[in-house]
Amino acid sequence: MGLQDDLERFREVGEKRREDLADFIQYGDLGQSGKDDVRIPIKIVDLPEFEYDRRDQGGVGQGDADVGDPVGQPQPQPGDGDEEGDPGEEGAEHEYYEMDPEEFAQELDEELGLELDPKGKKVIEEKEGPFTDLTRTGPDSTLDFERMFKEGLKRKLAMDFDEEFLREVLKIEGWGPDRAFEWARGENVPVSKAWIDDAYDDVPRDERTTWSSIDELEENVDREPVQQKIRREGIKQVPFRREDERYRHPEIIEEREKNVVVFNIRDVSGSMRQNKRELVERVFTPLDWYLQGKYDNAEFVYIAHDAEAWEVERDEFFGIRSGGGTKISSAYELAEELLEEYPWSEWNRYVFAAGDSENSSNDTEQRVVPLMEQIPANLHAYVETQPSGNAINATHAEEVESHFGDSDDVAVAYVSSEDDVTDAIYEILSTEEEAEQ
Amino acid sequence: MSFDRYEAKREASKLQEPVDEARLLAEKLGLEPYPVNYWIVDYDEMNELIAYGGFQHRYPHWRWGMQYDKQQKQGQYGGGKAFEIVNNDNPSHAFLQESNELADQKAVITHVEAHADFFANNEWFGMFTDARGDDEVDAAAMLERHGRSIREYMADPDVEQAKVERWIDNVLTLEDTIDQHQTFSASHLLGGPDADGEELDDDLAEKLSELDLSDEVLEEVFDEEWVEDQEGDGAAASFPETPEKDVIAFLREHGKRYDEEAGKAVEFEPWQRDIIEMLRAESYYFAAQKMTKVMNEGWAAYWESMMMGEEAFAGADEFLSYADHQARVLGSPGLNPYKLGKELWEYVENTTNRREVLDKLLRVEGISWRNVADTVDFDDILEQLEPPEALDSITSDALDAVAELPDKFVDREALERAREGEVDVDKYPWKVLTYEGLARRHYSLTKRQNRGFLKRVGQSELERIGRYLFDDAVYESVDEALDDIDHARGWDRMREIRESHNDVTFLDEFLTQEFVDENEYFTYEYSQAAGQNRVASTDYEDVKKKLLLQFTNFGKPTIVVQDGNYNNRNELLLAHRYNGVMLDIEQAQRTLERVFDLWGRPVNLMTIVKTVDEHDIEVAKRRNREPEPEEQGLLIRYDGSTFEERELPWEEVEDIAASDVDYDTKPDDWLA
Repeated sequence: MGLQDDLERFREVGEKRREDLADFIQYGDLGQSGKDDVRIPIKIVDLPEFEYDRRDQGGVGQGDADVGDPVGQPQPQPGDGDEEGDPGEEGAEHEYYEMDPEEFAQELDEELGLELDPKGKKVIEEKEGPFTDLTRTGPDSTLDFERMFKEGLKRKLAMDFDEEFLREVLKIEGWGPDRAFEWARGENVPVSKAWIDDAYDDVPRDERTTWSSIDELEENVDREPVQQKIRREGIKQVPFRREDERYRHPEIIEEREKNVVVFNIRDVSGSMRQNKRELVERVFTPLDWYLQGKYDNAEFVYIAHDAEAWEVERDEFFGIRSGGGTKISSAYELAEELLEEYPWSEWNRYVFAAGDSENSSNDTEQRVVPLMEQIPANLHAYVETQPSGNAINATHAEEVESHFGDSDDVAVAYVSSEDDVTDAIYEILSTEEEAEQ
Repeated sequence: MSFDRYEAKREASKLQEPVDEARLLAEKLGLEPYPVNYWIVDYDEMNELIAYGGFQHRYPHWRWGMQYDKQQKQGQYGGGKAFEIVNNDNPSHAFLQESNELADQKAVITHVEAHADFFANNEWFGMFTDARGDDEVDAAAMLERHGRSIREYMADPDVEQAKVERWIDNVLTLEDTIDQHQTFSASHLLGGPDADGEELDDDLAEKLSELDLSDEVLEEVFDEEWVEDQEGDGAAASFPETPEKDVIAFLREHGKRYDEEAGKAVEFEPWQRDIIEMLRAESYYFAAQKMTKVMNEGWAAYWESMMMGEEAFAGADEFLSYADHQARVLGSPGLNPYKLGKELWEYVENTTNRREVLDKLLRVEGISWRNVADTVDFDDILEQLEPPEALDSITSDALDAVAELPDKFVDREALERAREGEVDVDKYPWKVLTYEGLARRHYSLTKRQNRGFLKRVGQSELERIGRYLFDDAVYESVDEALDDIDHARGWDRMREIRESHNDVTFLDEFLTQEFVDENEYFTYEYSQAAGQNRVASTDYEDVKKKLLLQFTNFGKPTIVVQDGNYNNRNELLLAHRYNGVMLDIEQAQRTLERVFDLWGRPVNLMTIVKTVDEHDIEVAKRRNREPEPEEQGLLIRYDGSTFEERELPWEEVEDIAASDVDYDTKPDDWLA
């Protein structure tokens, strides 16, 4: 009663409190998640209180340490387990709600109001599914023995009865086969009249009055339930019938595999400071998860560029910072090259680039735009991360936008703070959605 | 769960003997526990009990569900195995898990006995019961009554259940804003702005509590008019006159609820006021536990160890399991309240015993606090302080040796019975000794891990002891002095302290540099420059401050009612007593929303925040220094739908910033 109700109450409250996706993407800690595994912090639901700011509070530790040494995370303590104090004492902690990219994609769809259905490039593969189809014939090795046995057992139970006891019933004084048959029917014993008649004939004359009544009989003789009899006699007594045989087949499943390759391009030149880098991460990471969730097979290519471009690994991608100037076309040239591995006929392609819109003069007009037109893809996108609004010479995004206008395979988004992140993601994803319509 | 089910299990014969013997041993060791009823429960029941704070019947609430959920997970995934739970009541009820091994059970039983002694003797536990007298705590009954009342309110067709639940939530957010240093008084603040429960005749207050009247009756009889008559005329200058620490009581008295339809604040429903008071009473009840956690857990750990380890309450074959048990409880990294408590108690014991030894030594002719180094050979002394062999190992064949020990150590009557075979001396050697005998037997200074303690005494302490000795030539020899030592001083003093202190005073008085050094404590703070926590100080004053921050006022910032008629519009003004550590502003805002629900009119919170410029952080990082934060007064206002923040000039917040202790322990040239 009490606990079940209270657990129920807790679940209801908890469902409402999970950090919502938009908050997570824009402000949350993305660092705990991996490529395939999205971990969203849930504050273990608790009521608010007047509390100290955790960071400002500091704390006490034990160990051989010098002033200035780094300190690890505080550990949960005993006293969390067997304290007799008020349970509400310990503050909120973080647990993670884990989801895979598919669930993430679904949730993001819901949250952003999208309904993107990945289309295009499909490869049909026939696969054998679970062995659930049943037919009446087949190779011996696929016989569903269990089913057959169960049928047989059912049959036996339906037909079997305690013969010994019945014979004794026939020895009741004043009863005969008719009376015995009546009684048997009344007891739901599945015996035929013919059998009783035969059995009666077998009873020696002088034994036909052994018992004075059914009660006396029941007092002196135990009935053996059928199950016990089967147990005693063994399962050889269970009749198997041809008509009970079933053979199992695998289902044939046709799978359509959808492939996608996502190119993430980032300006890593000197002007891309920490805050801009973080904004890029907040836009790209969810996009990657989303696409990974929507497609069966996703690959990711990461390109960093300043005046030149080079390929990098995912874990380096967001952190790199180099010194030089910026030439965005270098990245697209490299992308074009690498995309040869992923033919347009077989692969869905997304080419996302991000930076602060700074580019060498004319590079956008003369080289990037043509390259974007040349490289076939489901979607090209440029994300401008410029916290302080516009800077001079930072016009790449604008130029791309004015050139491609309402094109349904190019999206441009502007992000000047965390608050803009989900809008940017929406902008990008909905461009493709519009294209579908 | 019902008590009936336990009845049967209660007679679990296996545990009856350890339970009985543990009680006898505890008493021999000088403890005076409440009677304890032991119940055996299974793993789920244990988790349920813990989730409900040690009691079976509480008001319905999702927090219990949350706690239960959390514990089940910890048990599954972490090492957080729950061992026991015992509640502060007379008699106490202790619950043991049926699946635990015998060694664990014994450890738990000895642990529980020590807790029961703490509950029975610590005066902070007495505060709740002062009005009624020690024998009638019956916390279980009170909590059950509350549970029933609240359930009735929820079932009342005129009252929406969700509203009741939300109301409880509101009150719970403020459960720590009580005045835990005052005796709990149901009539506190009753009867109007000028009445203060304490100033109301003390006798009257007590009598009111004794009568155990419902609030409705109290208000009927002792209404504003009546009280004002008692107080005389004259409007107060401000309301409240002095800042009120018991915020819940203030809200109960003067709060209103906001009626959406009417568009204004109206009186509480009776059930609302009732719930506030019930939860407030519960808060006061549990306050004692919260305020003495370190001491209490340390106390229990100390005596458990004494009984199990030293007195070998655990049999030889159980000892390894016991060592494992201890390791699990005391071994987790980071700040562990059990460990801190136990270490402090041991430190208290050692320092008291050391002081006693030195007190005697300094009264030997020729020895003074100035020449100790030259005249005293501590190694020799330590040898002489060892307990006599006969006291150390007692077996049934060695009873003659025991008989020859001085009277004060030997329980003669028990010894006789032992000789006659009525007492199992091999299993329970302690039975033939007295309290003094046991104290001698377990003398702390000669234990292996404490052997350096005596000679480590600092010069200033020697001076402190020796300077004001009037009779400083009482003994002719060291031997004579040592003979006169009271070996039970340590334990005696420990018992005194467990009566009078709480965690704050305990830490404040006994945590010294020696303790911090010996046990390697340090403080850490968050460094903006480094972007992570760094060790800030190993100075004992700083360690103490940081610990006090965690324990003073339940580790929560102090919030008081500053003004009940702020802006002359009946707005509430709460003030944060700033001590160098900021509030979690986001939490504070969410809490203010609840306070609004309890006040009915706009609510304000005055506090001080520290800000650091992004730019300053970058600069500081480059220079490897910590950026200087700027302190700024802040007022947060909530009117039921929107928040407003306003910076306050320093003069306005000076009062709340006035604090002799700054809990920030970052050193000046921290990361240089």
